[in-house]
Amino acid sequence: MSERPTAEELAEAIEEFLSGEILPTLADHRLRFRLLVALNALGIVRRELTQLPARDDAEQRGLAGRIRAGDVPEGTLGRVRADVERRLRIASPDYLDGYAGE
Amino acid sequence: MIADVREALETVLGPISEPVLLPGGASKEAWAVDAGGERLLVRRAGGGVIHRHTLSLRDEFEVLRAAHEAGVRAPRPVAYIDDLDGREAFVMERLEGETIGRRIVRHAVPEQLPLQMAEELAKIHGLPPQRLPFLEEASVDRLVEELDEVGEPRPAIELGLWWLRENRPPPREPVVVHGDFRIGNLVVGESGLVGVLDWEFAHLDDPARDLAFSLVRAWRFGVPEKRLGGIAAVEPYLEHYNELTGFAVRPEELDYWELAGNVAWAVGCLTQAQRHLSGRDRSVELAILGRLGAEVEYEICHLLERQGVT
Repeated sequence: MSERPTAEELAEAIEEFLSGEILPTLADHRLRFRLLVALNALGIVRRELTQLPARDDAEQRGLAGRIRAGDVPEGTLGRVRADVERRLRIASPDYLDGYAGE
Repeated sequence: MIADVREALETVLGPISEPVLLPGGASKEAWAVDAGGERLLVRRAGGGVIHRHTLSLRDEFEVLRAAHEAGVRAPRPVAYIDDLDGREAFVMERLEGETIGRRIVRHAVPEQLPLQMAEELAKIHGLPPQRLPFLEEASVDRLVEELDEVGEPRPAIELGLWWLRENRPPPREPVVVHGDFRIGNLVVGESGLVGVLDWEFAHLDDPARDLAFSLVRAWRFGVPEKRLGGIAAVEPYLEHYNELTGFAVRPEELDYWELAGNVAWAVGCLTQAQRHLSGRDRSVELAILGRLGAEVEYEICHLLERQGVT
């Protein structure tokens, strides 16, 4: 199972927002047309994402389970942090800059 | 719908100005109205429930009343309405000032704000618990339950929870805590703290929990070097609180509860995203929290490293 919301679920949320909340506020015909085209393009992205294989999270699940059971050998923090950094590089790549010098 | 809300409000408040729905407020609606020359705010239940352990509006109104009577800087409670066009609501004073965290930390911070925060916390923690018998005690187990309900593996949160279990300081007598006391839930004006808002997370807990919540990095709003909410150093605030309460909270306890606050917010990000994913409250803002929680998890790792975890 990939991390949630999955990329597909995020694309879906953006589609709902644009078509449900932005489209009805647009009076300009050119902008309405371009937004509809953008929604079409976003739909393509979302459907293409459904064809990607889900990321296997067995390793994360195993690590989480061992920590829950109190099995925390030296080096655990390093493994945990590597997992978080990998996800941050996707979710919020600039965030780590805030730690420079700490 | 505005007409129905207005009609229902007028039966309680008399003639009012046109109600204006304010932006924000993911789980509750906020309406600005004026009545009898007074600026009022109507807090009304929204579609979903933000969190299993939040107070009902009826109980939140009671907490606000108790706090206001005890002299806590908070909006004056006006009336509880059990059915405002089909949902419960309450009316309170609408305070003037800034609540947006990013704006508060970027503009000139009133010099007295940190000590005023300590003063308000001291008053809140002195509220008699028997006055608010519906308040429950919180525990770390509650976070574990919530994490399990989401069902996603989060090793960083697990490691934070493990450390909290292993290093719990001697427990203090539980007091009434606000539960979400931080920049963003405080109205700030030129002369400092105008009022404390959002009492829905009030419960019974270790006072140091409330004292440390403003230290959580996410609530420093992009000014991480100022550990107290992005506005100031923490020491004078802690010292003033200790003078007022006699609790003698140690800096190590703040460290512990700062980590606990981060763990709670990391779990909170997941449960907020769940509101979107379950279909209860569809919203991009809620959805993206499911991913931005990784920032909070990184901070948990950072704090654990400082505690000597390897």
